Amino acid sequence: MPHIFCTGCGNGTVINCTLNAVVEMGWEIDDTIFISGIGCSSRAPGYVATDSLHTTHGRALAFATGVKMAKPDFNVVVFTGDGDLSAIGGNHFIHACRRNIDITVVCMNNMIYGMTGGQGSPCTPSGAFSTTTPYGASEPVFDLAELAVAAGANYVARWTTYHVKELTKAIKAGMETPGLSFIESVTQCPTSFGRRNKQRQPSDMIDHMKTHTILLSKKKRLEEAGQKVPDDYFAVGEFARRNRPVMGVKNK
Amino acid sequence: MKLIIDESRCKGCNLCTLVCPYNIFQEGSELNSKGIVVPSLDRPGRCTNCRLSKLYQRRLCGVCQLICPDQAIHWVEEEPYEPLGVVIEF
Ligand SMILES: Cc1ncc(C[n+]2csc(CCOP(=O)(O)OP(=O)(O)O)c2C)c(N)n1
Ligand code: SF4
Ligand code: SF4
Ligand code: SF4
Repeated sequence: MPHIFCTGCGNGTVINCTLNAVVEMGWEIDDTIFISGIGCSSRAPGYVATDSLHTTHGRALAFATGVKMAKPDFNVVVFTGDGDLSAIGGNHFIHACRRNIDITVVCMNNMIYGMTGGQGSPCTPSGAFSTTTPYGASEPVFDLAELAVAAGANYVARWTTYHVKELTKAIKAGMETPGLSFIESVTQCPTSFGRRNKQRQPSDMIDHMKTHTILLSKKKRLEEAGQKVPDDYFAVGEFARRNRPVMGVKNK
Repeated sequence: MKLIIDESRCKGCNLCTLVCPYNIFQEGSELNSKGIVVPSLDRPGRCTNCRLSKLYQRRLCGVCQLICPDQAIHWVEEEPYEPLGVVIEF
């Protein structure tokens, strides 16, 4: 520190929450390793005082799989962005979940390609403006948490950079769960996303997260009652916690 | 414990002003030497985290520190409270 992130970029907040969870787990520096691909979010491991790998775009999970299989005793944590994970790295994501490798994946979903100037990603909400969607995005959006559930991850949760306490708890729960844990954090990117979508100030984006999230359990209840949740709301909470067979757990 | 904003790290995003339930962080008004408007603290002693965490041996709120993307917020130890040297004469 200080780091390269723009003023108000939520990536720093996600780092705080992850490191807090690591401290609560009592993990040692020598057997914890952080891995990332490429993107603003993927710069995170460089600021953590442990061994780390900053790998190629989209390949963080492939590298992490290698590390975990070679050294099952290591605690492996992956930082990744929505583009890194779900666009170029989409297949690695699905198969890491399917294999259920014992790693913790923290995805900073800023809904855009931040580092390369704001192109649309598979997570850009419909109607949102980016350099590649100048008339508003029209493609359907990947729901990363649902995708991880469907592909087989043992622990899946989604929170935002506004929900710092819940996010920390979720990351810790993910670290405690054997198998692949996927924690998605919806994260503000005032520079590439907010500036083009009438949320220029970091606080505008945080406000949006505060007012447009709904607890998963509440959403399910509303849907069961036949009520409609507005399209611009997204669910936060725990999506899965289960015991599928896992790969690469500690030998102890 | 005393609340501190590290001016060398703060980028002036004002997220702390948004989340503090006690409104201890206020938007600043003056540029510092780095050209950043650092929030000002309004009577930081009102923060229960600062005052009581030692007493209860646990972290209380702490949300400002968690949300600060630039790791600029922390607490420093203070000298133990000393009774003022007021002499009462009879
Ligand atoms: C193979 C390859 N293709 C493209 C790039 C260019 N590139 C660098 S970062 C990036 C986007 C990253 O977006 P995301 O993963 O969403 O992370 P963010 O910057 O938003 O945190 C791209 C396309 C690259 N480095 N390597
Ligand atoms: S471009 Fe966006 S994601 Fe990248 S550092 Fe700036 S605010 Fe953060
Ligand atoms: S710990 Fe909580 S109450 Fe205290 S200054 Fe920070 S946000 Fe405000
Ligand atoms: S959240 Fe941190 S970086 Fe932002 S204004 Fe407050 S102290 Fe400064």
